[in-house]
Amino acid sequence: MNGASVLIVEDDNWMAEQHARVLTGSGYKTTITLHALAAIQAIDDIHPDVIILDVLLTGSTAFALLHELQSYGDTGKIPIILCTNLATELSLDDLKSYGVKRILDKTTMKPDDLVAAVRSVLL
Amino acid sequence: MSAAKGEHEQSFNGLLVNGLPSLIVAAHELKSPLVLVRQLSLMLESGEVSIEDQKRMLRQISLTSERALRLTSDLTKSIRLSDALFNLEPINPQQLCEDIVRELTPLFVAHDRKVKLVSRRKPPLIVANRDLLRRIIMNFSDNALHYAEEKTAVEIQINIFNAGQTIRLGVRDYGPALLSNAVSSLSGKLVSSSSQIHARPLSSGLGLYIVGQFADAMNGQVGMTRHRDGATFYVDLQASRQLSLL
Repeated sequence: MNGASVLIVEDDNWMAEQHARVLTGSGYKTTITLHALAAIQAIDDIHPDVIILDVLLTGSTAFALLHELQSYGDTGKIPIILCTNLATELSLDDLKSYGVKRILDKTTMKPDDLVAAVRSVLL
Repeated sequence: MSAAKGEHEQSFNGLLVNGLPSLIVAAHELKSPLVLVRQLSLMLESGEVSIEDQKRMLRQISLTSERALRLTSDLTKSIRLSDALFNLEPINPQQLCEDIVRELTPLFVAHDRKVKLVSRRKPPLIVANRDLLRRIIMNFSDNALHYAEEKTAVEIQINIFNAGQTIRLGVRDYGPALLSNAVSSLSGKLVSSSSQIHARPLSSGLGLYIVGQFADAMNGQVGMTRHRDGATFYVDLQASRQLSLL
């Protein structure tokens, strides 16, 4: 699904920029938000096809945002890719009910892994 | 809000081992900059980056490395603090803060933010250790950089209290504004989990613990004021009585 819209929720703006660089290079449209409140606004505005979500966010956690998204029928269906330093502490099985389709470990992933993950959840 | 030494340790509850920051917390704090440096390096290795992007990424790598090194150096210093004696001397806070602004400006510009000094009048000298005070303000500034909104200016402020006996050096950031009731209500729903593993690395309390140790060594106190649109972290220090004794 080339040209799909990806929302990047990542509070490190240089890391967010790096994710955007990789995805844009593969033909995806990207939007960056640095915290959960801005993410909710962006989701309403752009209706992303995929959300890439950091777990540790300024002012809240990804889990609070996941709860919020699951509260609404339309946002609850957006596939989520968690991209985090805490991947080893998380279980995909536990998070599937929150729309989480993949968990990427920032400490071991390569830039192309992000593209592969987005492609796989859009199949 | 001021915090005494005991309170720093309380706020760092569970993260100290024998009164020192645990290895796990310290390692966790250092993970984020290393992860970013690794991602940027891998991207550069791939060669699929424009010359302009290459320059930008190399700059980000060096600035991120410097920030990580500052944290490492602060950690080492705080652990060895009890073994060392620190000279306290009269210091011109204005001069010190101007130097810090000059040093941090490239980092802030690279993040599309500004840092500036706000000092209403020529402040009196303070009793402090230059190196420790510099580390405190740098630490506050690194923290403010992370929380400040894009294109805003972080302010290093110098204020005078207690009829000139106390000098407050603060770092004010302008974070996400919470303007309406609706947003405030939403914010309430997004309150962080109480579980430590869900706390932001920069909010783990390690930075505050370190600067609290540095402030204690200078008979000072650190504190924080939360604003609707950001926060001010500050250190209160005694004004030098050197001139009044002349």
